[in-house]
Amino acid sequence: MASATDSRYGQKESSDQNFDYMFKILIIGNSSVGKTSFLFRYADDSFTPAFVSTVGIDFKVKTIYRNDKRIKLQIWDTAGQERYRTITTAYYRGAMGFILMYDITNEESFNAVQDWSTQIKTYSWDNAQVLLVGNKCDMEDERVVSSERGRQLADHLGFEFFEASAKDNINVKQTFERLVDVICEKMSESLDTADPAVTGAKQGPQLTDQQAPPHQDCAC
Amino acid sequence: MARDVNLNSLQELEREVILQVLYRDQAVQNIEEERIRKLKTHLQHLRWKGAKSVSPEYKEKSCARCQRELGLLLNRGAVCKGCSHRVCSECRVFLRKTSAWKCTVCFEDRNVKIKTGEWFFEERAKKFPTEGKHGTAGAKLLQSYQELSKISVVPPTPPPLSESQCSSSSNRLQELGQFKGFNKSVENLFLSVTTHMKKLSKSQNDMTSDKQLRATGPRQCAGRTERRSQSDTAINVTTRKASMPDILKPLNQESPRRLTSPVLKQEDLSSRPTPSAFFSGGLRHASLISINSTCTEMGNFDNANITGEIEFALRYCFKTCSLEICIKACKNLAYGEEKKKKCNPYVKTYLLPDRSSQGKRKTGVQKNTVDPTFQETLKYQVEPSQLGARWLQVSVWHLGTLTRRVFLGEVTIPLATWDFEDSTTQCFCWYPLRAKAEKLEDSILPSNGELEVRAKLVFPAGPRKLQEAQEGTDQPSPNGQLCFVVLGAKNLPVRSDGTLNSFVKGCLTLPDQHKLKLKSPVAKKQACPQWKHSFVFNGVSPSQLRQSSLELTVWDQAIFGVNDRLLGEARLGSKEDGAAGEDSGSPSERQWQKVLSSPNLWTDMTLILH
Repeated sequence: MASATDSRYGQKESSDQNFDYMFKILIIGNSSVGKTSFLFRYADDSFTPAFVSTVGIDFKVKTIYRNDKRIKLQIWDTAGQERYRTITTAYYRGAMGFILMYDITNEESFNAVQDWSTQIKTYSWDNAQVLLVGNKCDMEDERVVSSERGRQLADHLGFEFFEASAKDNINVKQTFERLVDVICEKMSESLDTADPAVTGAKQGPQLTDQQAPPHQDCAC
Repeated sequence: MARDVNLNSLQELEREVILQVLYRDQAVQNIEEERIRKLKTHLQHLRWKGAKSVSPEYKEKSCARCQRELGLLLNRGAVCKGCSHRVCSECRVFLRKTSAWKCTVCFEDRNVKIKTGEWFFEERAKKFPTEGKHGTAGAKLLQSYQELSKISVVPPTPPPLSESQCSSSSNRLQELGQFKGFNKSVENLFLSVTTHMKKLSKSQNDMTSDKQLRATGPRQCAGRTERRSQSDTAINVTTRKASMPDILKPLNQESPRRLTSPVLKQEDLSSRPTPSAFFSGGLRHASLISINSTCTEMGNFDNANITGEIEFALRYCFKTCSLEICIKACKNLAYGEEKKKKCNPYVKTYLLPDRSSQGKRKTGVQKNTVDPTFQETLKYQVEPSQLGARWLQVSVWHLGTLTRRVFLGEVTIPLATWDFEDSTTQCFCWYPLRAKAEKLEDSILPSNGELEVRAKLVFPAGPRKLQEAQEGTDQPSPNGQLCFVVLGAKNLPVRSDGTLNSFVKGCLTLPDQHKLKLKSPVAKKQACPQWKHSFVFNGVSPSQLRQSSLELTVWDQAIFGVNDRLLGEARLGSKEDGAAGEDSGSPSERQWQKVLSSPNLWTDMTLILH
C-alpha cells in the first residue's frame, strides 16, 4: 500500500503485455516420446538426454514474431502417462492447436496416434489444428516407423506432418511456426465468415451504397 | 517409488509440483485478462467518440467516427462495409496490401477479436455452448485445490440454525446433501491423483486402457457414481474418468469468497449502526447480517442536507487482484445532527451490485468533525474480469447516538471504464458528495432481474383446511396464512459461466418487529431458476399484514453456504419506520394491496429485484 502522504501510486510494470495476441498450444502423445524435450528445445534451446517424467502438466511461454505480429505462445506440455489423463484432457478445451507426437523408434507410440486424435476430437473445439510429429528422427538406426507410414497416417487424419529431433534440433522451430500459421489461417477464416456481423449499427438506406466496389478515389 | 512408504510423500510432492504450475498459469492469465480488458476499454472509447446518435447536433453529413463535417463535392466520405456508416478518409484503415478498408471502429472490432482470442471462444462455443469464455482448466483445478485445502483446515460450518424455525427440514437436508456432494467431488480429484499414483507401475501401457473408456463416451460417464466409499482404493477407471467433469461443474469462477475476502476487516462493533437485536442470532451467519445490511440500506436511516466533498484514490493491483481504495479525507460535510452541530463521520464502500456484508468495507469513525481525515485503505479481492461489472459506491455516514445513522452523501464510480493503467487516475481526487438517488438502482444500476411470485391470503374460516392439505402444514393457524409461491426469476446477474445456484429467502417483518423467515431450496445451475416453492407464513392476520413488510431476497449459493452472494431483493408492504415515502403507486405495491384486500384469491406479481 502506498504511504498515506503519497499522492500517487506506483506504475505497474506492463512489459509482459508487449504482444499482439496469445495462442495456447498443447503437446500430447505417449509417455517418453519426447514432448518435454521438444518444448525445452524450442523454448530454451536446451536438451538433456535424461528422462524425467512430467508430473501432470507444465507449460512454457515464448513470444515469437510472425507475420508482423508478436505472438505469445503458451505451450502446454502434458504428461503422457495414463494416470494423469483426467488432468491433461481438461486442458484440451483451451487449446487452439495441438502437437501430437510419437517416437519413430517406438511402434506402440505410433499405434496410439489414432487414439490421441480421437481424444482431441472429443475434448477440443471443432477446428482444432493438429500437427503430427515423429520425434527422435536422429535415431535412424533404431527407427521402426518409416516416414512414409507417418505421412500416410497424417494424411488419413487430416493433419500436417513433420519428422523432427529435439536432440539435434531438427524441424522443432518449423513445427511450431507452421502450427502458428495454420492457427492464424483458421482465425482469419473464422473472422471473415462472421464478418458481416462485425458491428451492430446498420443503416438501411446506405446498405445499397455498400454494394458498390469500395472506391478509395480520395473522397476527402 | 516402489515402496509403499514413499507413496504418500510422493503424492504431496506431485501435488506441490502441479500447484506450482497452476499458480504460474494464474499469473499468466491475470496479465492476459488485464490486456484484454484494456483492449476492450479502448474499443469502447472509440465507440463513444463516434456515438453520433446521442449527440444533439446530429448531422447527416458528418463522419461517423470523428464527427467532422463532410462536403458535397470534396471530402464526401464513403460508407464503411462493416457498419454502413459514412466516414471521412482519415477514419479508414486499409487492410494489408489491398484497397479494401474498414472504418476505425470496425477495424478495431476485428482487431480486438483477434487480440483477445475472442474468435476462438466464439468458435469453441459452437461445440461447448456452456463453457465460460475465459475460465481455464487451470483456474478450475486451482480453485478445487484451494477449496480442498480449506476443508482440511476449517471444518465446514453447519447451515444457519436461526433460519430453521420456519423452514421445513427437508430443505435443510437437501442443502446438506449438496454440501456433501461438493466435498465428494473435490475428494474425487484427489482420489484420482491418489489412484494415479497407485497405478504407477501400470502406467506404461498408455492408451490401451483408455480405449475402453472412450467406448462408453464422456456423456454417459457424466451420470457418474458419486455414492461410493471414500476409502475406496480400487477405484475403477470409469470413476476416474468421470471425476473430471464432476470436479469442474460445481465450481463457480467468481466465488464470492474470493471476490470479497476480508483483506482488511474493519468490523468495528461499536460503529455498527444497526439494531442489536438482529445480531442476537449469530454474528457468524453472513446471510443474516447481509439481510440486515440490506434492510438498513434500503431506508432505515436519516438524511442530512448533502454538502461537501470526499478525497480518495483508486488503484488496482493486477498481481494480487486487489482493488485498493485509499480514503484520505472529507471536507465541508453536513452535520449529522444539525441542531447539536454534531458529526461523527465514517466512510463505507460497496462494490455494487454486491450489497452483502462481505462486500462492505468501513473506515473508523472520526469524532466531532465535518472535515475528517481518514487515511485508511479499504481493499477488495476482485478478479480483473469482474471489474467491468462493478460500481464502486463510497458513502459517508454519521454515527449518531443510539447507533442511529445519518446519510451524509455518496459517490458512485463505474469501474468498467476506469483506466487502472493510467497513473493519473491513481491520484487522489476530490469528489463532490451527492444525495442518494431516489431509486438508486433505477438511475444508476440496471435492475437485477425479475422475480415471479404468486400470493394469497388464507382466512382460517373456509378454505383453510384445503390449504393445509395443499401445503402440508399441520401447525395451527390462529389467524390466517399468507401463502406465497416463488415461481421463478429471470435476468438475474449470473456468474461468468452463465449459471447460478440460486435460492430465495422470504422475511416477513410483523408490526412488533417479529420476523418470520423462510427459505426455498436451491435451484442448481440455472440462469433462470424455477423454484415453484411455497412460503407459508402462519398465524398472521390481514390487519397485521397491512403493517408488515415482506422482503424477498435472491441469493447465489456459495460452495460452503456461508458467503452466499446477494443477487437482488424486492420488498412488499409498509416501510419500516415510515422513513421512505409510501410509493403505493408502483405496480407491485398495488398488487400487494390486492392480495391483502382479496383473501383466498391468488394474485400473480412480477417484482423487480434491486
